[in-house]
Amino acid sequence: MCLDDALLNSYLDGELLEPWKTQVEEHLSYCNGCQMRLEQLKDLDDKMKSTTISDDEIESRADRVMTFFEKNRFDKPKKQNIFRRKIQVNLIPALITSAAAFVVVFIGSFVLFGTNNQQTSEILPEVNLPIEASQVQQVSSEKKSSLDDFSLSQIIHYLDSQGYAVTLEVKTVNPLEDN
Amino acid sequence: MKIQSNDERDFREVYEQVFPMIFKVSNNIVRNPDRAEELCQEAFTRFYDQGKTFPSLNDAKYWLIRVTKNLSINVVKRKGRELKMIEKVKKEPKAKIKTGEDLMVEDQICKEVRDAIAQLPEKFRVVITLKTYTDLDYKGIGATLNISESNVKVRVFRARKMLEKILNEDQE
Repeated sequence: MCLDDALLNSYLDGELLEPWKTQVEEHLSYCNGCQMRLEQLKDLDDKMKSTTISDDEIESRADRVMTFFEKNRFDKPKKQNIFRRKIQVNLIPALITSAAAFVVVFIGSFVLFGTNNQQTSEILPEVNLPIEASQVQQVSSEKKSSLDDFSLSQIIHYLDSQGYAVTLEVKTVNPLEDN
Repeated sequence: MKIQSNDERDFREVYEQVFPMIFKVSNNIVRNPDRAEELCQEAFTRFYDQGKTFPSLNDAKYWLIRVTKNLSINVVKRKGRELKMIEKVKKEPKAKIKTGEDLMVEDQICKEVRDAIAQLPEKFRVVITLKTYTDLDYKGIGATLNISESNVKVRVFRARKMLEKILNEDQE
């Protein structure tokens, strides 16, 4: 009995397990018909395999697509590394130390001048005191004494000159006769 | 050996081994090397961007082949719909290709085989394509396509039978 196509296909693909594999090979050794059939199948498989693009072309396409990944995927972390290295090499000795010094001075100035009023007045007395003493007090005293400093007759005279009709009424808590 | 798809070293290892296969598979389905290249790039981009972990290189390979196959078939289906539209207007798609240029005899055979493969129903075409253009065995094809090993065996056998029939008809 000859081999059927399904068996030959499996054999061709190397998928036949051992007890059957030897049996098939044994049969093939003397059966020309089955050998021919196997050759046909092999021929078809070879034809199909050759019906593809050459390895060189596949390689060049593989390289091109790999370049895409090198540019768009792998490079991203690498670029960051390059930046970090540049910063470490160029900036640490020169700029970062001076920047750190500047920050210390800046924060120190807040500690010294910003938060402590006593220290501020001790360090800068000449700027703060004369302004408060002379100017501010004078302005405020003028305003406070403005009405009290004028006599009644002066006020009336002023209002009269401005065109107001002034009627004077004197009211007291106690009758005048008592005084 | 575990494969981390967005690890550069793992990616390169998988790429080196799998790219030629998925390119052949895709090119065999879409029959356009440039389009196949795009699809392979797309498949590997998904592979990388999804940051998957595969228990073995084979699992990564199955995943990539499956994705490429699906992408390629989608392209063909879309193209098929477009072609049908064109055919309605213009009823000579085959004759035009044959009269185009004098093809070498070998190229002629290649074309015949390719045309024959293209005529197979999808499930047979995919199985025979994977069998021919990748190093997957029946088990691997089954794992890639989520079908049983014996199903793969039957489809390979029937696909070859159909191909022979188509090719013999062409010769006569």
